Amino acid sequence: MSLLELSDVHTFIEQFHILEGVSVEVPEGGVVALLGRNGAGKTTTLKTILGLTPARSGSVVFDGEEITQRRTFDIAAMGIGYVPEHRAIFADLSVEENLRIAERSSGDLERREDLIFGLFPDLRRLIHLPGTDLSGGQQQMLAVARALVPENRLLLIDEPSEGLAPVLIEAMIEAISRLSATTTVLLVEQNFIVASRLGQSYVIIEEGRSVQAGAMADLVDDAETIQRYLGV
Amino acid sequence: MSDSKQHRQLEAPGTSRSRRIADAIGRNRARTAVLAVLLFLFLAAMAGLESDQWFSTIMQGLSVGALVFLVASGFQLIFGLMDVLNLAHAEIFMLGAYVGWTAYTRFDTFIDVLIPLLLVAAPFALLPLWRALGTRLAAVGRWGRAAAWGLLVSGGVLIVLSITKFPLVIWDAEDFARTPVNMSVQIDLGMLEPLTPDSFGWPMVLAVVVLFCGGAALALGLTTLRSHALPGSVTRRNLTGMVGMIVAAVVLHFVKEPLNDWIFGLSTTWRFFLAMGIAVAVGAALGALIEVVLIRPLYDRPIFTLLITLGVGYVLIEMAREVWGRPEFTMARPAAFNGTGEGCPAEGLGGFFSGCATLVVFGSRLRVYNEGFIVVMGILVLVGVSMLLKRTRIGMTIRAGVEDPEMVEALGINVRRLFTQVFALGSGLAALGGVLAAPSIGLSTEMGALFLLTAIVALAIGGLTSFPGAAAGALLIGLLQQIIIRLGQTGIDLPFLSEPFKPSPTVVPAASIILMVIVLLVLPAGLFGRGSR
Repeated sequence: MSLLELSDVHTFIEQFHILEGVSVEVPEGGVVALLGRNGAGKTTTLKTILGLTPARSGSVVFDGEEITQRRTFDIAAMGIGYVPEHRAIFADLSVEENLRIAERSSGDLERREDLIFGLFPDLRRLIHLPGTDLSGGQQQMLAVARALVPENRLLLIDEPSEGLAPVLIEAMIEAISRLSATTTVLLVEQNFIVASRLGQSYVIIEEGRSVQAGAMADLVDDAETIQRYLGV
Repeated sequence: MSDSKQHRQLEAPGTSRSRRIADAIGRNRARTAVLAVLLFLFLAAMAGLESDQWFSTIMQGLSVGALVFLVASGFQLIFGLMDVLNLAHAEIFMLGAYVGWTAYTRFDTFIDVLIPLLLVAAPFALLPLWRALGTRLAAVGRWGRAAAWGLLVSGGVLIVLSITKFPLVIWDAEDFARTPVNMSVQIDLGMLEPLTPDSFGWPMVLAVVVLFCGGAALALGLTTLRSHALPGSVTRRNLTGMVGMIVAAVVLHFVKEPLNDWIFGLSTTWRFFLAMGIAVAVGAALGALIEVVLIRPLYDRPIFTLLITLGVGYVLIEMAREVWGRPEFTMARPAAFNGTGEGCPAEGLGGFFSGCATLVVFGSRLRVYNEGFIVVMGILVLVGVSMLLKRTRIGMTIRAGVEDPEMVEALGINVRRLFTQVFALGSGLAALGGVLAAPSIGLSTEMGALFLLTAIVALAIGGLTSFPGAAAGALLIGLLQQIIIRLGQTGIDLPFLSEPFKPSPTVVPAASIILMVIVLLVLPAGLFGRGSR
């Protein structure tokens, strides 16, 4: 049984029909990459899973439970971590507080300290800085670290490489591939090179529909499909 | 042991404190300059005053500032987190004063009203049950909705029928002599025997059961009209809550006479503290109720929330008029701040606990209640709420929610419940302001409006999104107003004028606005606001 299953999900934002039938299957363990052009509906798919933009029809099943109509905090508390595209670091909170707020029971941060600072050793040095004082790359690390504080079973990571310098992208790939050893990841990534290095399987979304899915290894050699759905 | 180790691990290499302060000043040059100029102006104004006046002027400024702060802080917390401009805030301030007055002078009436209210509220504790039933009823369609309205109406009828059978002291807002205020005054003067309510009009059990059923019908009707995706299930906590409220109501009924005797035997000081607690609790409950019932469905429509809070304000004013029946009345100061005679006014700050109404410090006469107690309470609230925001988890969640409620929700935190809690907190602070203001400025249905207006100006000065800004703005406004009032009495020597210049009292509100305009021209986000720098 897969950890997360979306079947024929339709989502509206106000009157706009954004998702017109998305089906995604995320097996337990590893990384699934959501691919597609800008505005195809990848971010909305993540938000629909979390109930931030609830699905109007179709179903979202996490860990065998129907979560389509549940409220966001309820869904997240089932063990889903979210790293949004705009990172959403709380500027008014220190780095430590940004991590603490993600705790679901007190002491989560201490329990996961080794994992988090092992992946992102820089954060330990920045722990008392306010969230505003971080660079873009540091904010991205903090956003991922925040999703790791509680023991989440699934991470939804949106565009982790966006706006990062190449050396930082490399570090981020390294971090995500290491954490995917213990946690399932659903990744949205515009940069196909990054996505192909991280993902074991992929789902392509085109104009609000999931059009193709399969193993990443097959897609890498399929120049025609890449050109058709992902080429500029 | 392990705790301290972990703490050390999280420690960053220290930056020196003075360096950080210098950095902060460098980053906030405009802010520092404005504060320096304001400080200079205040000192200049002080220089124009006799030495025996400046201290009392400052303390009066602090007193007004403290009351403005109590209104502004709650308003700011609500606006900062939920972007709701709660115009009913002024009326919650007013109701805080009225409820406080009632608990202070007529505790018996307060208990009489509390008992049936507890019984109506008790079925609401079983919310998951009503949600489950309501979802089923709503699924029926049009007839389900009709049934919901039927339930609401019949619930209302049952409650009204049953409440009148409860032994209440009947006030009569139409008959001037029997309005609650006049009755209380006459009772206090010994002109009227305290009215004791008769026994139940029905058998007590019947009255209790009918009232409970009325509450249940209301609860089911309301939950049917608002569809809930997740009914949940009744937990032990729900049950204990309901049983607790019923038991409390019944016990209160049987002990109310000795309880009243005991309360009225206490000194007015203790009764005042009790009244403060009750006013805060009622204010918070009212705020939570307004949020859940009226504001929650309208978060997507800011104009609607603005209008609905405006309307709620007017409704509350009319309700207060109807219930208390007299537009203006006063509240006696509690005994600890009202002493006269031997040894009064006391000398020095130590006289705060002397029981005198006034004391003399640095040659200035201070009223202990106005310039002492209110200021102390203002500082306590400032420190308390700051600690809450800085040190507690809920405070951290509030600060994060101000920036990005969606992300906070995505971390698994129930933001809607947080909204209700903050609404209750803000309303409780407003009610505290009201009950504190009552012995000083008296009660009237309009008492809140003026404070809210001043508070909004103070918030604009301090920065609408900043809690310290609310304190700073309120402090500045309070000091400014009192200094101008005092200068109006003593006059100030200005260059190029042969006579001392005496600002007239009408300058006072204008001066606050001018201060606001100047601050906003230099710092569009206010002194401590974030945003455009």
